[in-house]
Amino acid sequence: MKTLDAKAQDLKAVNRHLKDLPDGQPVIVKNVSHLHGLAAGLKHGEVVVQGNAGDYLGVLNAGATIKVTRNAGKYVADNMTAGTVIIEGSAAYGAGQYCYGGTVVVRGDAGDFTATMNKGATIIVAGNIGREAGTYMLKGDLIVVGNAGDNFANYLIRGNVYIAGEWTRLGHNTRVEPLTDEDVSKLRALFEKYEIHAIPTEFKKIVAASEKPFYN
Amino acid sequence: MAVIGAFCVSVNREACVNARMPGKCATCAEVCPHGVYALDSTTGEMHVQNFNACVGCRICAEFCPADAIRINPAEPEYISRYPWTLAAVEEIHYKAQTGEYLLRGFGTTGPTPNFDLITVVPSQIASDPPLDKYREECDMEVVIGEDTCDKPIHLKAPFVWAAMSFGALSKEAKLALAIGAARAGIATNTGEGGLVPEEAWLSRGYTDEERTHKKWEPGGYLIIQWSTGRWGVSADYVNSGDAVEVKIGQGAKPGMGGHLLGAKVTEDVSRVRGVPVGSDALSPCRYYDVQSLEDMKHMVSFLRDVTDYQLPILFKLGPSRPYADVAACIEAGADAISIDGLVGGTGCSPDIVTQGVGIPTIACIPPAVQALKDYGVHRKVKLIALGGIRNGLDAFKAMAMGADAVGFGSAAEVAMGCRACYACQKGNCPYGITSQKPEMRARLDPIETGRRLANFIHACAEEVKILTMLSGHSRIADLSTEDLRAMDLNTAAITGLKMAGYDRPLPMWELAPQPVSSTSGKGGNGHKKLEMQAERQVTTGS
Repeated sequence: MKTLDAKAQDLKAVNRHLKDLPDGQPVIVKNVSHLHGLAAGLKHGEVVVQGNAGDYLGVLNAGATIKVTRNAGKYVADNMTAGTVIIEGSAAYGAGQYCYGGTVVVRGDAGDFTATMNKGATIIVAGNIGREAGTYMLKGDLIVVGNAGDNFANYLIRGNVYIAGEWTRLGHNTRVEPLTDEDVSKLRALFEKYEIHAIPTEFKKIVAASEKPFYN
Repeated sequence: MAVIGAFCVSVNREACVNARMPGKCATCAEVCPHGVYALDSTTGEMHVQNFNACVGCRICAEFCPADAIRINPAEPEYISRYPWTLAAVEEIHYKAQTGEYLLRGFGTTGPTPNFDLITVVPSQIASDPPLDKYREECDMEVVIGEDTCDKPIHLKAPFVWAAMSFGALSKEAKLALAIGAARAGIATNTGEGGLVPEEAWLSRGYTDEERTHKKWEPGGYLIIQWSTGRWGVSADYVNSGDAVEVKIGQGAKPGMGGHLLGAKVTEDVSRVRGVPVGSDALSPCRYYDVQSLEDMKHMVSFLRDVTDYQLPILFKLGPSRPYADVAACIEAGADAISIDGLVGGTGCSPDIVTQGVGIPTIACIPPAVQALKDYGVHRKVKLIALGGIRNGLDAFKAMAMGADAVGFGSAAEVAMGCRACYACQKGNCPYGITSQKPEMRARLDPIETGRRLANFIHACAEEVKILTMLSGHSRIADLSTEDLRAMDLNTAAITGLKMAGYDRPLPMWELAPQPVSSTSGKGGNGHKKLEMQAERQVTTGS
């Protein structure tokens, strides 16, 4: 696989290189933690970040597969519409915000305000997740294998939030529902696909109490 | 101020068809979207059922075949009973009954400091002589992003349409704005509600997606708004226009995000925004994905990157701390900055926020210009003034105070037919501008309304040209505060303009310039250089 050393290179040079890659040709990039917005808006291709990534990794991702061997900075996969982002380590504040589609997998922990305003993506956190996760989520799935912090799924409007562990406090406009067979099948397929060790039947499911909680 | 009970409905029963022949006409009851009139199905008699529900849209008077209806504002009471007007009383009753505060659309009501107490100083013998509007040229072009991106915007006149979203506005109104922009060579703006696909080619003057037939010359521009709700946003979306505008706030509700009530979230709006049909789309008050000015700089960097370094990046500010906020936008890398004043409009906002939050447009411009001058970028990073701009006279005054261009929002709606009823949030706009209902939208023809909008721009451009040339200038970029005088103490104190008669700025501006309050603490205001800049003192520029 081709390797690009981004040390001393700026965002424009590195992202232009990634955009110009032929469809389907994977590339390894290293020394990128100083770049914020790496792989922004890519429509195809596979990028493997060796080491830690900066902030806004894969922002506006529109179809690429992006993998990080260690940790990601803030706002990873921000506003993604398609594609896959996999973090082998942990993700800082605000992973998977404003996403319309695609899949985010964080094998470690994810920070506060993760999956805020998710509008259709599947966001999986294999570790623990911070406070205010899933705030004002409008569609899609948030799956947490570990524990969640305060105000979990606050003002959920639509979509599903699954958690195997505990939450500090559940947010407003939420309701706990039993898992359906479809939920279990969906979780099992995702765990198999992304090699996550978790038992689907042990998850709790949180849904919105109302689609219109603000004004009558 | 509330809109409840603000109008008197009068029906001339001698002229009214229904009064003479019950059952023969009930047009008023049919067209009123607010339930003011009621028809007795047994007798066929129409009567006014609910005076207080009238918002003053006057659609009944428009449709009445006998010209029998008059809608008059209940103005005398504002003098005789203020502050306990019927509207104030009814508002308290409403809250006592429902436990809810008022929401409404449009902008601030009542008197606020504005452009009207500023006058234009013409040229005579002591200054450069006036130029002849009828026989000499005036350079009206405004370029955004000239030195910073590959595809700068060249506005043919110093105007833009203020950002108004699909959802807040009907699709037909959005298309009319695009066509109006194309015919006038100015820019329209998606607002934060995603892209109406046709906007992308209509705004450039083309009638078809393939852009094979250009109908509207000279063609305009489309500004793509990037906001806190990120409705309908993708990589393709940010690349579908000619500039990207990062919305920080707006004049009608600074410190709050966009409000689109469920009544206007139809299937089409739901599809673009990703919210369920009928659910309120309430944008966050801040970017969840920005916690510092450094983050904002990175956001600008990736937006430039995703748009391949071709498009200008604009910022839009609400009226808060203009010096520090404009300085932050400059630091973040803006090519242009819109600042929206107190009376800036909205499709929906809590009444108290629209009425009582933010500072007036005339007070935003001087500190904003000072920040641009302190950074050495005045007239390079373009300043666009918004909020209550009604005509070429207001526009000229804003530009002489240092803005490069102005935006029309509420005025654009009025040019489309709006009668300023302040009820945009209800989704019942009888002129089809802020309604998503098919029967209302059918009343707005985008091509004809686009023509009206372009006419309005052409007229305002001529007004700016008249004023620029009678002031002795051949370029709008040469306008300065020397071309203006404040006509009362308050306006002179707020703006730093020379006061008419006294013919110099008030001593408080000349001798003891006021420091601009710096912001501190969290958010994007912790940058050290910015804080140092914000502590600088403001002096008037001329």
